[in-house]
Amino acid sequence: MTTTPALPVRTRRVKTSTVVLTAVAVIVGAGFVLPAIWILIGSFRPNAEILTTMSPLSWHLVIPSEVTFENYVHLLVDSGFARALLNSFIVCIASVAIGLAMSAMAAYALAVYQFPGRNLIFAVIVISFMVPFEAIAIPLAQQFTDWGLGNTMTGLILPGVANGLAIFNLRQYFLGIPQSYREAAMIDGASEPRILFSLYARLSGPALTNSALLIFLGQWTAFLWPLLIVSDQKLQLAPVALAGTFGEHAADYGQNFAGTIVLTLVPAVSMFVLQRFFGRLSIGSGEK
Amino acid sequence: MSLITPLSRRRLLAGLAAATASALVLTACGGGDDSGTGSTAGGWSLPSSDPTATIKVLSILDLKTAHMQEVIDAFEKAHPTIKVDYQSVPFDSLNSTLDARIANKGGDPDVYWADQPRISALAARGEAEDLTKAFAGFKSSFDPTAYDSGMFQDKLWALPIANSSQLLYYNKALLKKAGLAEPSADPNQRMTWEQLTKDAAKAKSSGAQYGFLFGQFDRYYQLEPLPVQLGGSPGATGDKNLTPDFTSEQWVKAFTWYGDLFKQGVAPKGMKSEETDPAFVAGRAAYMVEGPWLIPQLGASKVDWGVAPQPVFEGGKPATPTGSWSLAMNPFSKQKEAAAVFMKWMAVDEGGGYIKYRSDPELAASPEGKKIYFQKSVFSSPAGKDAAKIIDFETSNTAVNRVPTIGYIEFETILNQAFADIRNGADAKTALDSASAQLTTAWKKYQ
Amino acid sequence: MASSTVTSEPVVAKRRRAGRRPEAGRQRPGRRQELMWAAIFLSPAIVALVVLRVVPTVGAVVQSLYKAFPGGIIPATFHGLGNYESLFADPNFVSTIVRTLVFNAIINPFQIVLALLLAVLFTQKIPAVGVWRTLVFIPITVPIVGSSIAWGAALNPEGPVNALISALGGNPQPFLTSPDQALAGIIMLASWIGIGYWMLFLISGLQAIPEELYDAAKIDRAGPIRTFFSITIPMLKRPLLFVLVADTVANFVLFVPVQLLTQGGPQNSTTLLMFDAYRTTYGYGSRNLGAAEVVILTVIMIFFVLLQFRLLREERTPR
Repeated sequence: MTTTPALPVRTRRVKTSTVVLTAVAVIVGAGFVLPAIWILIGSFRPNAEILTTMSPLSWHLVIPSEVTFENYVHLLVDSGFARALLNSFIVCIASVAIGLAMSAMAAYALAVYQFPGRNLIFAVIVISFMVPFEAIAIPLAQQFTDWGLGNTMTGLILPGVANGLAIFNLRQYFLGIPQSYREAAMIDGASEPRILFSLYARLSGPALTNSALLIFLGQWTAFLWPLLIVSDQKLQLAPVALAGTFGEHAADYGQNFAGTIVLTLVPAVSMFVLQRFFGRLSIGSGEK
Repeated sequence: MSLITPLSRRRLLAGLAAATASALVLTACGGGDDSGTGSTAGGWSLPSSDPTATIKVLSILDLKTAHMQEVIDAFEKAHPTIKVDYQSVPFDSLNSTLDARIANKGGDPDVYWADQPRISALAARGEAEDLTKAFAGFKSSFDPTAYDSGMFQDKLWALPIANSSQLLYYNKALLKKAGLAEPSADPNQRMTWEQLTKDAAKAKSSGAQYGFLFGQFDRYYQLEPLPVQLGGSPGATGDKNLTPDFTSEQWVKAFTWYGDLFKQGVAPKGMKSEETDPAFVAGRAAYMVEGPWLIPQLGASKVDWGVAPQPVFEGGKPATPTGSWSLAMNPFSKQKEAAAVFMKWMAVDEGGGYIKYRSDPELAASPEGKKIYFQKSVFSSPAGKDAAKIIDFETSNTAVNRVPTIGYIEFETILNQAFADIRNGADAKTALDSASAQLTTAWKKYQ
Repeated sequence: MASSTVTSEPVVAKRRRAGRRPEAGRQRPGRRQELMWAAIFLSPAIVALVVLRVVPTVGAVVQSLYKAFPGGIIPATFHGLGNYESLFADPNFVSTIVRTLVFNAIINPFQIVLALLLAVLFTQKIPAVGVWRTLVFIPITVPIVGSSIAWGAALNPEGPVNALISALGGNPQPFLTSPDQALAGIIMLASWIGIGYWMLFLISGLQAIPEELYDAAKIDRAGPIRTFFSITIPMLKRPLLFVLVADTVANFVLFVPVQLLTQGGPQNSTTLLMFDAYRTTYGYGSRNLGAAEVVILTVIMIFFVLLQFRLLREERTPR
């Protein structure tokens, strides 16, 4: 912010523009969240009411005739969803921890060092995330089964660990960190791992958050892979369990919506918290 | 430190090349591997005493919410040495899951739920075990159409555990409001589709939100009887049923009627199959053609309802949908005898353990199972009694199986899409012609 | 400790001097050590990517040269380029490719421009900005099965959107039931999900731009638009390249919304290449033909991604 004392007129203009910008931000935010709100409301109403209130248009669309927690109770207590949720959580946390460390190291090497073959490796990484996972899932699942990784947590975690997109994202961010920082740290006697994990990582809060999110969401929404690799009901993941609310002839929209809300809240809340936490740790703020 | 220096471009390239080469070798081996189909018809028979085993069963019904736990418990009580490791996957994912898992050749699952019209494809793909030797002797236990659904190239590949039929449900209050007479429950006084269209339009103009609903819009299962009633083919013909046959006059006539339903606003566009039951149960539709699974829901609702046989076209011959799920065995199963014991218990013993012990009522594929089915409490009301009579009649007299072809999946996918297009306003003839061309291309690989 | 040295002014000055030095890579004493660290840091990721991505990808390319009865049991036979020939001989497949290109030509610029505008908006000094930002980001976290139901219901011909249009005096629209509007519906749903997501990456890029640059622009009396094009965009090149590439890839391989909302219809108007490949592989069980489709898709993607790298070419040295 400017440190010169602002004139009264100027202050007022700033205020009007802030008001306008805030209004736009609120409207945009509300517009994006609207369909999710409808799902949220649906998760608290009787199953039969969810789609029958869609037309004709009336206030019943958003106001339930009764508020019920039945959907959540059925989902979390009576079906196997709670266990699947825990499984998903374990898989995601493990994937993020391993995947992020791996990606940060690779990104650092690609951003900082000059070495022959660097561009080739980078190209391989870029191409690796272009090939749709669905195209390689079946042969990979067969390979995993041969290795004895079928029906194991390791088998669920591994494919999420190798994320070329996360490497690419971190590399782009690391390239923006001036080399001089690193050189200065070296003069101070810091080792390479130390430069990476305490200097670069500290300056890259937002990029690390985003990359963690990339890996997390990839695993959190995994559907095809667990179907192929897990036949033990106890190891099933949440998205597969949620799909079970669709029967052959009918769907339990109430439970489906309740599950949708649970699955939405976990990444949304963690992202909100992480943003507050890491938002300040960036190159821009570091130089202030 | 000096050891690390030679990590040059050359080495990285060499590493990559090696990895690539090994991938090539792996795939080539996979391609040339001819361990092929599992041991068919050899080495096992229905055992006289139970083996000790744990079998893996893959289903589309959730253990808890679809009440399969009761069935599995009853089986394990009757056969204490055989444990069932049960897993369910969503209906839409069953086929791809089976394709991938059976091809692993590890024998997982041992037994699986097989969609009846896909049995030919499963057999041709080598994903089902030949059951002729062990189970052909039980032929007389089943309804003939249900048993035939498991046949492919004169062999038996799956045992039916359930069946289905379709009924015309109506909302008495909405009909009364429109001054319409209730259709007769007598199969000999079947309503015509032409009459139904008129009456449904009238009901709609008198305040019903929907005049008429099919339980499953745009699906071959539901709509196949329409052209068949007019004398059309079930949709495919020729050697192995691999020639599309749904552009005939009868098909065009039937689906022009179908398209008109939506043009006239008698039935709604854009409504999915999952939404139809709740709409009728909430009293929003005057008429609906749907399966017997609607009866328990209606019993628990406030709707005053009645049933009649599914209509027929004027001058046509009655035909109704049929078919449901069967059990098939993985040819790579290592526990075929235990698997066979489970299949027999589910499909044959006491009229079928699946029908007997599952609390959700489901139509049986055997005469003995049907007796158990009709004794369930949902058939005790007057409308329920009518429904039982109609279902009994239709399954023995008017049921037409879906066309058996090894290319069923492509057939159904492309045809359902054409039905959806007609519903959305496309001309019936154009849509069916284009689907026929598309299917001819898709079926080339089988020729 | 290291971080505190970083932020001090003299270091930056030192960097400037160091930066002027001619490239002295070979003579630098740390050169060997650097190579060692590069190898150590890269090897876990490289091993994982090669085993989990590269090898299966090469496998898929090989598979596309074989022909087999559907399913995965009956052995395949070598078929050369036969799968590709039959694909390109099918007019439906050719129009699928054209449709995929048109779809991407619209959706990618649309999403990126909006994501950029929102990123700029959400880095202004606005009260509770984190809350509004999170709201825009929520769609990506909603499981797509749930959001497809919500959108399908909203866009139903008798649904609330049409009710609203009628109430405002407009004509009800067919939306997903019309071959002219269905693809637009898919673009809407995909953008509702994607915009907030890509916005996040751009926000972190914007936050990394030193504030002094904006202060300097203010002193120069540059207006907001000039500042945007002369400072924001050039400083955002790297995250923008990432978002451009990642978004393009995401949209080329998009198929779940199609599968859930329209199954490729009406009249094939939403049959995109990846949806078709998925249906061929997992629906019809024709893995070899499906692999050929994916190879074609990947080649198309590589072309566009190369173009983007050219377009936002990076300076040789990151200074």
